[in-house]
Order: sequence, then structure tokens, then C-alpha cells
Amino acid sequence: MLRVTGLSKSFAPADGPVRAVDDVSFEIADAQCYALLGPSGCGKTTALRCVAGLEQPEHGRIEIAGRVVSDAAAGIFVPVHERSIGMVFQSYAIWPHLDVFENVAYPLRVQRPRLRKDEIVRRVTEVLTIVGMDALASRPAPRLSGGQQQRVALARAIVRNPSLLLLDEPLSNLDARLREAMRRELAALIKRIGITALFVTHDQVEALSLAERVAVMSNGRIVQEGAPAEVYGDPKDLFVARFLGATNVIGGRVEASAADGKMRIGLDCNGKTLILGGAHRPGDVVDVVLRPENLTLTTESPSDQINAVPGTIVASTFQGNGVEYDVDIGGAMLRVFSPGQPQLAPGASVWIGVPASGNSVFKRKAG
Amino acid sequence: MPKANNLDWTARLVIVAGVGAAIYLIGVPLTMLAFAALRGPADFLPLEPGARWTFENIHALLADPVIYTRILPDTFVFVAGTVALVFCIAFVLAWLVERTDLPARETWFSLILFPLLVPTPVLAIAWILLMGPNAGWFNVAIRALLGLDGQGPINVFSMPGLIVCQALASTPYVFLLLSATLRSMDPSLEEASGASGASPLSTFRRITLPVLLPGLLAPAVLITLITAEQFELPLIIGLPAKVTVFSYRIYFELNPLGSLPNYGAAAALSLPFVAFGITLLMIYNRLIRRAERYVTVTGKAFRQRRLPLRAWRIPALAFTTLYVAVAALCPAAVLLWTSFFGYALPLSATAKDFSLGAYQHLFANRAFWIGLENTLVVATLSALIVTAIGALLGWIITRSRSRWRHLLDFLSVMSVGIPAVIAGLGVMIFYLSLPIGLYGTVWILVVAYSFRFATTTRLARAGFMQIHQELEEASATSGARWLATQRRILIPLMRPVLISGFVLLFIVGVREFTIPLVLFSQDNVVLSVLLWQLFQYGQPAPAAALASLIIAVALPVVIVARRYLTARTIAG
Repeated sequence: MLRVTGLSKSFAPADGPVRAVDDVSFEIADAQCYALLGPSGCGKTTALRCVAGLEQPEHGRIEIAGRVVSDAAAGIFVPVHERSIGMVFQSYAIWPHLDVFENVAYPLRVQRPRLRKDEIVRRVTEVLTIVGMDALASRPAPRLSGGQQQRVALARAIVRNPSLLLLDEPLSNLDARLREAMRRELAALIKRIGITALFVTHDQVEALSLAERVAVMSNGRIVQEGAPAEVYGDPKDLFVARFLGATNVIGGRVEASAADGKMRIGLDCNGKTLILGGAHRPGDVVDVVLRPENLTLTTESPSDQINAVPGTIVASTFQGNGVEYDVDIGGAMLRVFSPGQPQLAPGASVWIGVPASGNSVFKRKAG
Repeated sequence: MPKANNLDWTARLVIVAGVGAAIYLIGVPLTMLAFAALRGPADFLPLEPGARWTFENIHALLADPVIYTRILPDTFVFVAGTVALVFCIAFVLAWLVERTDLPARETWFSLILFPLLVPTPVLAIAWILLMGPNAGWFNVAIRALLGLDGQGPINVFSMPGLIVCQALASTPYVFLLLSATLRSMDPSLEEASGASGASPLSTFRRITLPVLLPGLLAPAVLITLITAEQFELPLIIGLPAKVTVFSYRIYFELNPLGSLPNYGAAAALSLPFVAFGITLLMIYNRLIRRAERYVTVTGKAFRQRRLPLRAWRIPALAFTTLYVAVAALCPAAVLLWTSFFGYALPLSATAKDFSLGAYQHLFANRAFWIGLENTLVVATLSALIVTAIGALLGWIITRSRSRWRHLLDFLSVMSVGIPAVIAGLGVMIFYLSLPIGLYGTVWILVVAYSFRFATTTRLARAGFMQIHQELEEASATSGARWLATQRRILIPLMRPVLISGFVLLFIVGVREFTIPLVLFSQDNVVLSVLLWQLFQYGQPAPAAALASLIIAVALPVVIVARRYLTARTIAG
């Protein structure tokens, strides 16, 4: 269990102080995997380092497995080595002077009271087997590949059965294909050992697929928190929607809204209307956010003209599992992902179908 | 890295020029040295009529009891003591500046480098004025404070005195090397240890030290080599202290009291010394490669987390201040004072002791103006030559497939292992044997200084490695010939590297004392040698005036040169 309450931390670079973490609170249940997701500089890594004890927060309270490890108001700050944590660093931080076995054995070797030698060997062998590195136990650290370093770092982090596993961008140092494989492996492993885990990432796919709960951060604050499907399906604002891969944003105005939670929205660019879910009032100026993969694309005029927008293909990109089109709908561009069908050439006239639900409509802030 | 296969004739010419220059500047004097060691009688030059092949010099060397009773023990104690002391001082300083929240770190960094920028005789004279047994300022002060009489308690003219002075003088080198090592360490290696449950002390012992070990051993080996090569302080302080180290002994064979120079003996004495130096260099290179492998596990720049000193702040500041005071501030102060007041002490001096006489005396001395001109000419020209050769060698080593490149790499690295006194000796024997009238002129100094291309080669090599080969290939595919590519693409990109190489070698040239002393004549006197002569012949005030002027010029250079003085450039 991890409970973070009102956490704040500033840095003072030459060009004025920056509040890296600003009043952040969250809670992770036992054996839950929790992700802090956000662009670089949003404060997620600083928050993680505060939890680890590598940074000292100015305000707030941190509780790991029921033990208060940091409480600025009460003057409590437990140093990093006295916290029950395991951490996987972005660079993996594999010690170059030790081999695989000794890297993993290290947390046990520095443990007091001392563990018996055969106990250390047993536990190290066990975790090396879990991460699939048992065959390479005697390999020197400088001769490990990226994926192997990641496994060693993970084994080292869990070998002493900590209460909390911290992962700082654990997959960002791997190449794309390996990242995919390691992501699955990591998810399975965290589930299997049933550890409470907090990880930090800028990659939405990573956060959504690994974590049971996700907090999206921006400018030092948590903007939205929830289960991955919740955050993805119902983003709270434009920032979250965009960060989670919704690339199409078009302006419009609510013309009418009905009691069943449907609104008619006139688009600014071409005057077409869309019927979309939402509860804004007539007259509201809104941003309509459409996911490329939610839109459909047809070449023939659909019989049902509701939520069908005509356009012309400007560019198309073949992506293996489908084609991504940039479509000019008269004054605005929409990106549409269309699986399967043969690639259409630029210039072709198409119709874009917009589903009535699964999109987000945000009221535009004044100014 | 892909290498150009078909070089046009201009490129071949460059390779030939580089190979030729390197062999001429290092290979020839060293070969002459080996040659001279095997020719006799000992006071004959190797090619002089009457000289013949002989093992006499080697036999005489091996049979000389002084070697075993004096020179080897003195050299050993001097080197071991200095290395131990300098390493402790430099490690603490580097640790404080790089890894703690010591206040005013930038200022300390510059001040610590001071001894690196002034000729060693300047420091030697200052330390004699400060720590001389009779009138040394420190001694006068200590005696007054403790109510002591007579001499001392500090005597700079002793083995411990020599060791302390050499350690103070060598600290900046080691400091630069160690701070680079400390800076290159990934802080997450230590954080990972903390996150594994290790206490800070345990982290230091189990992670920090072992990871840094190759990066600490390499400077230790290098400073052993550099200390063994030292000549200035063993001459100026060691000679009155009756300490005789190897390098001084070689000089002594060339300038024995009241007899002819003993070329054969000096050459024979040099050979084991050079062999020792090259052995250490090979160890050094091996360690550096290991240190680099450790670093490249992650290999990028880091924002170091600084250890809060808290209560240790006061002792840390005291230690840093003590070093800077003894190695930089007090020497500068005592020299400036002496240049105006002579031997009058600060507390007892009156206004009538003040005099500009020392400066008038100095400016009236023709040797000062000759020395000034010679110093600038020799330092500038040798720095230009060495930078150019370094760039050529760096290019050949990184960009060509020439089979010469391994030899050139070896030659350039070897120049670190050749003590100045031996370089001077090799050049002396070669040009005394060669009837072209170079000996005794300022030009022989230019040639003799120019063997030190390890630094610029290393710099240029690193520079070329950072310039992607495709930048040149893009020029070639745009239709540029080889020479045009070099002139329009490579040289402009390399300019910062070339400038820093030049600045460094210029400083080295201005500091040089040993080579111009070995090759001394009335016409080629340089300021460092003139300084020593003034002091030696009982003119401390003009000597102090000259030293003050040198410091006044060096101080702005400290600030400008700081950013050029990275460890890689010093390490060679």
C-alpha cells in the first residue's frame, strides 16, 4: 500500500524556481499496479523520486505499507536505504564492476542482520529464474544487452521482497520491438509476484496496458485519475484526450441539446452538424475530439446522412494493418484510420462516419 | 566506421607529412639516444671522429654504486611520497568540488588550477621564500607565534620539503583527472544502491569506490610517471637538499662540475628511464580502456547529486583554503611583496624599504627582453607545430586505412613517457652531430618542444570521432575534392578542438623549463630559465619581479583557459 498526500517539491534553477510536483495525492492498494503518466517535465519522475526517498519533499506525507516515511510537517524523512522499496531506474543502473549474480545479490548482502550465504544463493537464483536470467548469472555487467539489463534491474528490485516496487520509465531504453515483448512480460511478472507497483511513463500505451490505475499528470499536478478504460474512454479535458491519442480536434457550437444526453453540434469549418453524446447547453462553444480509429470511411454516400461528413483525401499512409488518411472536410483536416480496405488515392471523395458515442466534447474555456 | 578507400594524392601527401614529422620529432632523437648509449668514449658525441661501438657506458652505469645507494632510493622515496600525498590532496579537492555542496565551487576550481599555469620555477622560488629554513615567511611566523629561536621548524630543503612542494605543484593535474572521473559516474548507480537498502557509507564502499577504481588507478599511474619525470623541483629544491633523482642525474652527467659533458653516460642512464615510462604508459592505456568500458554502460552526461556537507562544511572549506593558500595565494603574495620590498618582512617593513628598483633592474636587463621574445616565439611556434601534427595524426588514425596509423598512435602516446630532460638530451646529441647550425639557437627549442603531440593527437582524435564521416561524404558527393572537403567542412568543424589544443600547448610552452635549460645558450634564454638564473645568482628581488609579471599574465589565462582544461586533454 502506498498513500501520498499533498506532496509538493520545487527546484530552483537559475531562471527561477519551478514547482515540479504541486499538491499531488494518490493511493495505491495492495498488489495494485499504478502508473503516473505524463509528458516529460510534468513532475512524474520527481514524484517517484520523492516516494523512493531520493528527493526530499517540501510538503506532504508519504506512507509505504502503513509506515510514514516522509512527513514534512512532522519533520519525518526516512532516508532511501531504510525504506522497503525496490527500484528500476531508467538507465537500469547496473553496477559495472559486478556480475549479474552479484548485482542481484547486492540488496541481500547489505541487509542487516546478515543473511546466510546459502539463503542468498537460493533467493538470487529464484528471482533470476523468474526473470529468465539464471543461465547468465556469471556474466559481467558491461556485457549485457538492453533487455538483459532490464531483467537484472527488475530482479535486483524484487529480490528482497520490498513492500513497493518503483519503476522509472522502465521500457524507454529498449528498442520498439523489445519494448513490446518486455511490456507483456513485465505485466505478467508484476501480477504473478503480486507486488504493489508504482511506475512512471510518458507512453500512454505502456500506462494503459500495464497499470490497473492511471494518473495523468501535467505541470506538477494530477489532472485525471482512474482505471485505464475510464481515462481513455472519458477524458476529463482536452489535454488528457490529446495525450491519450485523440488527434482530431475541431471547433463547433452546440445548437440544441436533448434530455437523453444528445446534442446537435454545428461544426465551424463546414457548417455540417453532428449528433453527439454530451450535456453542454445550446450556444456553448465546444471542441469536438475524435479518435482516428473511431471514425469510419466509405466511398459511397451513406443512406443515413446523420453524422456523415463528406471530404476529400489529401494524403494516405499505409501502415500494414490498415491505412491512415488525412481527409479535408472543408476548412479542417481529419485523420481517419481505416483497417483492411484497399488504399485510396489522394483526391478521392469519401464520407466519414462519426459514431454518436465514444467521442468527447469539451466546452471551450473563455479567452 | 567506414574509411575512405581511394585517397587522392593530396591525402597521401598529408599522410606522408604526418608520418615524417612524427618520426622526425620523436623517433630521431630517441634513436640518437640509444645510439649514443652504445658509442664511446663517453665524452664523445656518437658521430664524432674517434667514437666507436662500445658497452662501456652501460657497464659504467651498472657498476656505479651511486645508482644503487643514492639515485634509486631517492627517486623511489620522492616518487612514492609525492604520488601518495598528491593523490590524497587531489582526491579530497575533486570530491569536494564535484560531489558536494561546497560553496563557491567555480572559484575554487579556478584557484586550484593556478600551479598548472605558471612555470614551476615561479612556484619553487615562492616556496623557498615561504619555507626557507631561515627567513621563510612561514618559519618566521611560526617562530614568532611559538617563541622559538634559530632555524626552522620547516625546512623546504629536505626530502619531505621536496615531496610537499612537488605534491602541491602536481595537484592540479590529478585534480582535473579525478574530477572528470567523478563527473562521469552515473548517479543512479549510487541511488540504486540506496534503493537496495545500503547506507551511504556502505554505498561509498561497495559501489562508488569499486566503480571509480579504474578511473582512480589510471591517474595514479599517470602521476607516477609524471612525478618520475620531474626535473624542476628536484633541481631547485632537491639539489640544496642533497636529494638526487634520476632526471637530475642525467642533467648532472651533461653538466658535471669542472669536466666535459658525459654524453654516453647520460644516454645510458636515459634508456632504463624511457623503458620504465613506456611500461607505465601501457598500463595507463589499459586502465583507461577499462574505465571507459565502465562508464559506457550507460554513457551520457549526468546531473550530479551533491552531498550536503552540513557540519563538515567548515573542515572542508579549511582544507580547500589551506591548499589554495599554500599553492596559489601565498606564493603570489610573497613574490609580489619581494619584488617591491626585497627580503624585508611584511610586519617590520617601512615605507623606505619600498622600491621599484627590481623592476627597473629587470627592464634594464637585455636578457629579459631576449627571454620574453624567445618565450613567446618558441611557445607560439611549437604550439602551432604540435597542433598541426596532432590534427594530421588524429586524421590519419581515425580517417585513413594507412598501415602507419598504429605506429603513429604509438609514437604520439609515447611522447608522454619521455621526460623533458631526455627529450632535451636526444635533441642536443642529434643537433650537435648535425652540422646545420641549429644548436644554440631559438629554433632548436622550437624543434625540441614539439615532441609533445600526445595531447593534441588525443584531442584531434576525439574531435574527428565526433564528426560523422557522412558529413565529409556529403561534401564529396557534392563534388568537392579531398582538399576542399578538409578546408570547407572538416577544419571549420574542428576549429574549437584545434584552438583548445593550441592554447594548452602554448601554456605548456611558456611553462617549459627543463628543455631550454638542457639546451641553454646566451641566445636562446627563455623567461623560466632567466628566472632561475636570477634567483640562483643572488638577485631575489628581480627574480620575484619577473615571477610577479609572469603571474600577472597567467591569471587572466586561468579564467579563459578553464574550459579548455578538461581531463582528456591533460591525460594525453
